[in-house]
Amino acid sequence: MINRKKFDFTLLGLLVCLIIMGCVAIFSASTTVIGQHVSIQNHWWKQVIFAFISLGAIALLLKLPMPIFDIIVLPMFILNILALIVVLFTPAVNGSHRWFSFGGINYQPSETAKLFTILMVARIISREHLNEYRQIFYGFLIVLLPVAIIIIEPDFGTTLVFWTSLMAMLIAADVPVFYVLLFISPVVSIISSLWWYAIPIWIIIFVLLLLRARLSWVAVTVAGIANVFIALITPVLWMGLKDYQQNRILTFLDPTRDPLGAGYQIIQAKIAIGSGSVYGKGWLMGTQKNMNFLPEHHTDFIFSVIGEEFGFIGSLLLLGMFIAFFSRIIKNTGELKIKERKVATAGILAYLMFQSFINIGMNIGLVPATGIPLPFISYGGSNLLINTISVGVILKYLNERGFIK
Amino acid sequence: MTKSYATLVYRVTLIVLFSLLLGSLFRLQVIKGAKYQRIAESNFVRIRRITATRGEIYDNKYRPIVSNVPSHNLFLTSGKIHNFPALAKFLDRNFGIKEEDLHQLVLKQRFKTYEEILLADNIQYEKILMLSEQMNYYPELSFRIGATREYLYPNHFTGYVGRINEKEYELYRKEDYSLNSYIGKTGLERYYEVLLRGKDGREIVQVDAQGRSLELFAENSNVEPLNGLSVVLTIDNDLQKFVSDTFPSGMNGAVVVSDIRTGGILAYVSKPDYDPNLFMQKISPDIWKFLNRPEKPMMDRVIHGSYPPGSIFKPLTASIGLDSGIVTPYTKLAACVGGMKIGNRFFRCWNRGGHGSTNVIDALRVSCDVYFYDLSLKLSLEKMREYAVKNHLFGKTGIDLPNERQGFFPNTEWYKKTYGKNVGIIGHKVNLSIGQGEVLTTPIQMNAFYAALANNGLWTQPHLLKQTMGRGRLTREQLMPLTRKPLPIKQSTIKTIQQGLWAVVNAPGGTGANAKASSGTVYGKTGSAENSMGRTTHAWFCGYLVTTKPEIVVTVFLENAGGGGALAAPITRRIFDYYIGNLEEIKKVTPLPAKFRTAQDVPTEVPEEEVDPPEVVEPITEVTP
Repeated sequence: MINRKKFDFTLLGLLVCLIIMGCVAIFSASTTVIGQHVSIQNHWWKQVIFAFISLGAIALLLKLPMPIFDIIVLPMFILNILALIVVLFTPAVNGSHRWFSFGGINYQPSETAKLFTILMVARIISREHLNEYRQIFYGFLIVLLPVAIIIIEPDFGTTLVFWTSLMAMLIAADVPVFYVLLFISPVVSIISSLWWYAIPIWIIIFVLLLLRARLSWVAVTVAGIANVFIALITPVLWMGLKDYQQNRILTFLDPTRDPLGAGYQIIQAKIAIGSGSVYGKGWLMGTQKNMNFLPEHHTDFIFSVIGEEFGFIGSLLLLGMFIAFFSRIIKNTGELKIKERKVATAGILAYLMFQSFINIGMNIGLVPATGIPLPFISYGGSNLLINTISVGVILKYLNERGFIK
Repeated sequence: MTKSYATLVYRVTLIVLFSLLLGSLFRLQVIKGAKYQRIAESNFVRIRRITATRGEIYDNKYRPIVSNVPSHNLFLTSGKIHNFPALAKFLDRNFGIKEEDLHQLVLKQRFKTYEEILLADNIQYEKILMLSEQMNYYPELSFRIGATREYLYPNHFTGYVGRINEKEYELYRKEDYSLNSYIGKTGLERYYEVLLRGKDGREIVQVDAQGRSLELFAENSNVEPLNGLSVVLTIDNDLQKFVSDTFPSGMNGAVVVSDIRTGGILAYVSKPDYDPNLFMQKISPDIWKFLNRPEKPMMDRVIHGSYPPGSIFKPLTASIGLDSGIVTPYTKLAACVGGMKIGNRFFRCWNRGGHGSTNVIDALRVSCDVYFYDLSLKLSLEKMREYAVKNHLFGKTGIDLPNERQGFFPNTEWYKKTYGKNVGIIGHKVNLSIGQGEVLTTPIQMNAFYAALANNGLWTQPHLLKQTMGRGRLTREQLMPLTRKPLPIKQSTIKTIQQGLWAVVNAPGGTGANAKASSGTVYGKTGSAENSMGRTTHAWFCGYLVTTKPEIVVTVFLENAGGGGALAAPITRRIFDYYIGNLEEIKKVTPLPAKFRTAQDVPTEVPEEEVDPPEVVEPITEVTP
């Protein structure tokens, strides 16, 4: 099943390293030391079991004949969409309808939806003789399907992952970069409107970039004016919002405004990570962790445990591992020659990379708090499984390459 | 190998994003690491719960029944424990907390080790002074002032609060209870928990060891607690005290006094009683034994005990006969010769001498059993049951107290299930007609039934809550509408029954002559119910007082005391006499106390009190030497 010449052992090795680091962190996160008293929750061995299941899943995936793999993408995508709809009718957990729960294992359909949507988009937009507009249009339509449902759950953070993946895939599908630039330009315009002097700087950069892409003058002018308009209208719309609506948005951007809710967690995570300092407090010795200031620190805030116990050195090691891992995938996208597979790999890359960035950024207060776990590290069986399978898909593509130079 | 455009974009993105992360991490951990280490060591950034003040309970003249008093409590922060065995020894010696229990407590709180655990409450001040020096060795312990409940007098309706237990915590944790929370355990404290409790606030603690603000969060981000609503009851403290004092000592039983028109309970006594304050401290085994003695002082006999009503049930039997036209007020039934032979059994009347042939009014007056035996032969059991249900003697009254016991009246099906298919109903029916046998009622049900008879057939749900006070002022009707339902009895029948009840007390030879009050007219019925609890009968009296209009209804129940006319009726008379003697005092409308006044009351209330005295500015005189 494994083609020794083609199989990417380095990528697999990096993956296993990340999973092992995750298990080490989760073991610490589920341990509490009070005086001489030590108590351990059963999270860590559940994660170890799931790690083995996940690696087993990769083995199975590699064995699966390629034609069958190709065929099941569409039915799985449809099933997943149905699951997303059904999950809306389950009882709410913490105010949102995201989880199916079977005997202690929680399955979140939006997790699997990421992979299947990526595969589906890759399938459609990589077809021959499709012009850029169609590529963008079809990609947009397919992504909109799961996103529209997930927004209802509500789970805003997850939907961002879909859009990021879509953009990476469009680039991989040879859609000129300036389309993506056009895509994200309104978002940047809105952000730049916070500081009025940022608006002209941004618009100038934007126009220069478009010109460099050899776009016609007319298109550049239209795009430029549109963005100036967006940047100027934003404050007006903002004033039109009700106080509580403004508050909700501001709290999302700056959680410390809500010290009894999300802000409390962010501050506690920052204290934990910051107090880890250069060398950390040592494995299992994190005081903030042991005092349990942060609830649920084995899931979304697992990075705070790593930062506290292993310090800057440990964080550096983990980030380095992630960088090596993603670089390896980027290198692989260049080596895949079948367009669909290349596009899919780019989508998976973007989805894992975006989640890692958002999660760590959230832990150190760099980006707003959204419920996005750290891939391979955070506790969560189904999450680990689907992330690993995504990497498995890349490994499979590499394994099935036609020829190697 | 072609370096594609896409790969370049990805690489750039990867580098930019992770450089951002690395830069931020460097700033957080290397540059500001020392600062965060200091914050972490002080362990002081946390959210602390501010417990809302529980609402107090007042009588209908705004005099306190249950109030809050300060208390000293001992708290433990398990995350700060250094020497567990020493701590355990200290707590065992001074507070009687066993090492095992302490271990359990700490274990239970292991995911919130920074949150304080309440170890002991209501600690005497002397003890705190005594221990204050030793406390320095245990930084994980701290004394803090909280509030505890004080119950003005022993009673059964207020109930008491207690620390939340594991089962309740699981059940109510979503409603923002913590492991340290108090929760109403019984009585009104439990029934009106939602009103009394209020909403806890949150305080963000962000000071370092020197007391400086860490400025991690904005100031003023605390959430103020919303205090619980105070509750005004229909109870009248004076009357309650009188009834409690006039109750013969050494007897077990219950007395309920309620207002006929409003259905509000003025006095609610069950004896023997207990002091709810006992539950505010750790209960010693001796006290626990005392509370569980054979007289059952913890049992609320007003609503938690259902007893055979005996003769006080007779008005109901009579009303069925009158309503259905089987008898008229003038119909005389079988002659009483000290009993009556039905089939081949002889059913005795309480009076061996016999009453002769009587009509309904005389039958009630002398409480002749034979009249009702004979009447029951003409009634169906199903009809009797239907009347019991419709007159609220079956099931619950829905009084605003938890765990009300149901009244019971059997039907044919029940007999068949209990005694087999071939049970003879007639014998049972004969017994039921005089309130004996399987019929069971609670004192509160009888009280409500007689109140309805006095009120010309309008049954009003008995209740204790008059209105709430504090943040919101709601009457009982606004909170939970009272059930008011006409009894199924015809008006003419009610008039006849009322005549009978009048005769019981006022006509010569009436069994309830002892209940006749000094002024006003008393109506009532005696009852002496045979029961399985002992050889002597339960003494009952249900009666109501009419002056110019119907006033109050009194139900007296004495467990295994003897005859109702001899024992229960005099108690009723004393209550009526007291009521008439203090009519003005009891009926006086008390002005709203100042602390409950809100903005809307100010214009209508006496404004003089609100006006501040004009400020007198003292001229500053410079003393020049």
